[in-house]
Amino acid sequence: MIKRYGSLYVMIIPVLAYFILFTFYPLVRGLIISMQEFRVIGDRPFVGFSNYAIVLQDPVFWQTMVNTVLIGGGTLIIGFIAPIIVALSLNEVIRAGFKKFTQMVIYFPHLFSWVVVGGIWIYMLSPDNGLVNGLLKLLGMDQPIHFMAEKEYARWIMIFSNVWKEMGYNCILYLAAMVSINPSLYEAADMDGAGRWQKIRYVTIPQLKSTMKVVFLINLLGVFKIFDQIVVMSNGVIARQVDVVMGYTYQKTFIDFKMGVATAAAYLVIILTLVLAYVIRKAIRYDDLD
Amino acid sequence: MKNNYGPIGYKPNPVVQLLNGLFLLFLVATMLIPIWNTLVISLSSNASSMEVGLKMWPSEFSFEGYQTVWKTVRLWEPFLNNTIVTVVGTTLHVVLSAMAGYVLIQRGLPGRNLMISLIMLTMTIPGEAIMIPVYQVVKELDLLNTLTSLVVSGLVSGFSVLLIRNYFLSIPYELNESARIDGAGNMWIFVRMYLPLAKAGLATIALFEFVGKWNQFTPALLYITDQSKLTLQIALRSLVVESDATSSNFFMTPNVRMAGVMIAIIPLIVIYPFVQKFFVKGIMLGSTKE
Repeated sequence: MIKRYGSLYVMIIPVLAYFILFTFYPLVRGLIISMQEFRVIGDRPFVGFSNYAIVLQDPVFWQTMVNTVLIGGGTLIIGFIAPIIVALSLNEVIRAGFKKFTQMVIYFPHLFSWVVVGGIWIYMLSPDNGLVNGLLKLLGMDQPIHFMAEKEYARWIMIFSNVWKEMGYNCILYLAAMVSINPSLYEAADMDGAGRWQKIRYVTIPQLKSTMKVVFLINLLGVFKIFDQIVVMSNGVIARQVDVVMGYTYQKTFIDFKMGVATAAAYLVIILTLVLAYVIRKAIRYDDLD
Repeated sequence: MKNNYGPIGYKPNPVVQLLNGLFLLFLVATMLIPIWNTLVISLSSNASSMEVGLKMWPSEFSFEGYQTVWKTVRLWEPFLNNTIVTVVGTTLHVVLSAMAGYVLIQRGLPGRNLMISLIMLTMTIPGEAIMIPVYQVVKELDLLNTLTSLVVSGLVSGFSVLLIRNYFLSIPYELNESARIDGAGNMWIFVRMYLPLAKAGLATIALFEFVGKWNQFTPALLYITDQSKLTLQIALRSLVVESDATSSNFFMTPNVRMAGVMIAIIPLIVIYPFVQKFFVKGIMLGSTKE
């Protein structure tokens, strides 16, 4: 018994130890920190929920919350619809080579870090020698637009650069699901005299429902995680429009040294995420499908 | 198993095909042109990279940008750090996940289901939300400003463990039993039988992890302040995003910045064909783990 199982436990110890030390313990530890007044030196008295109260009364927190919801929500919706359209479009392509090439190219930006994607787009959108302003000039605009310094464009730039980066990834999930649609469904549709649009509308899209639900739920949980992108692409002029909740936590920890408040904000986000995931699961009846 | 939707099943409408093809070509252009433009500028001379206007070919071909960014800006240092973290981190990640995956397929192992539940639970906890308590743990372990902290961050993941477990589950368990009757130990069975049979699964998580580690940003931002320990993404961020503000005496020409971007994506481009090969399969297996 021991001889057989002993070595097995030894093999899994590193993984369990990692999760205990870097996931479960921090989760508990964070809860404690969020209820303490954090001091760099000396003791850390318990203050109950007052850090949470501070966060909830902080207009900066609410501003970052609004930004998160607008940028994250926009990304969620556009980033949900775009890959479906592209996948349906790709599925119509007859030439296998062109299909494969397109698939390959649109997946590419998913591999890049936000520093790379942000760096490329900041440069593309720059007023002096950026590609976008160059194109606008060809189309007859005389004054270049300072895209990264325009408050009304800032959130849209975040949304579209995110969709640009992640579209190919989600698209391939849909394509994979399309390949596994039972061909007899299309044969049956043929018998009923269905045309191209009817097949898409009544066969393909309904068959993609479970993939859509999974993609939507995963993307939804990603809304409050937005961080890298904003760290890279934000600047002094547009910060008020684009700084997100995770940025607030970072700012409070490493610049204001208010770790208790910062952690309270992060825990509010965890709670919100869990509630949201629960509500959405109920609403779209995620479980009844499989 | 090919469905008869699209190419087969109905006669393609040439107008729809043409419009669809143009739509996809436009999409491909929005992906390829920014990357191509980045490459062109990185290969331009200092002077020509600052010229205003659209460029699809370097007007003055030169490696000045690469030389400056590699030697003068000393990007080779963060590049080296990044390579160390990525190689060591990916190797450990694969080995530890595979060992855990092997343990979790053993029938009759006491505590197995508890361990599986715990590992699945870690996948629901958003890593970003516990970044401060995790930072505290890293600090208390005296790992701040070490490359070890970056290797440890994301050392294993529930996703990888369960993905590998799925691969191992598809290997007939009777093989395991009969090897045991012949007197083989767990280590022998794991290394000699299971690892070779799950090569595709191991390759999948190795590639995912390679990309993730190479692009790792937030942990490096939090844990590393020592200039000699900086990793590529952080160094690149100050190069492409902040260079106007931080280097008053040394103006960073666009070719230098774009050369930095290219250096950061070259390893990803090199492994891309392998990613193509494995990742759809990997995602599909990962998403059907329940």
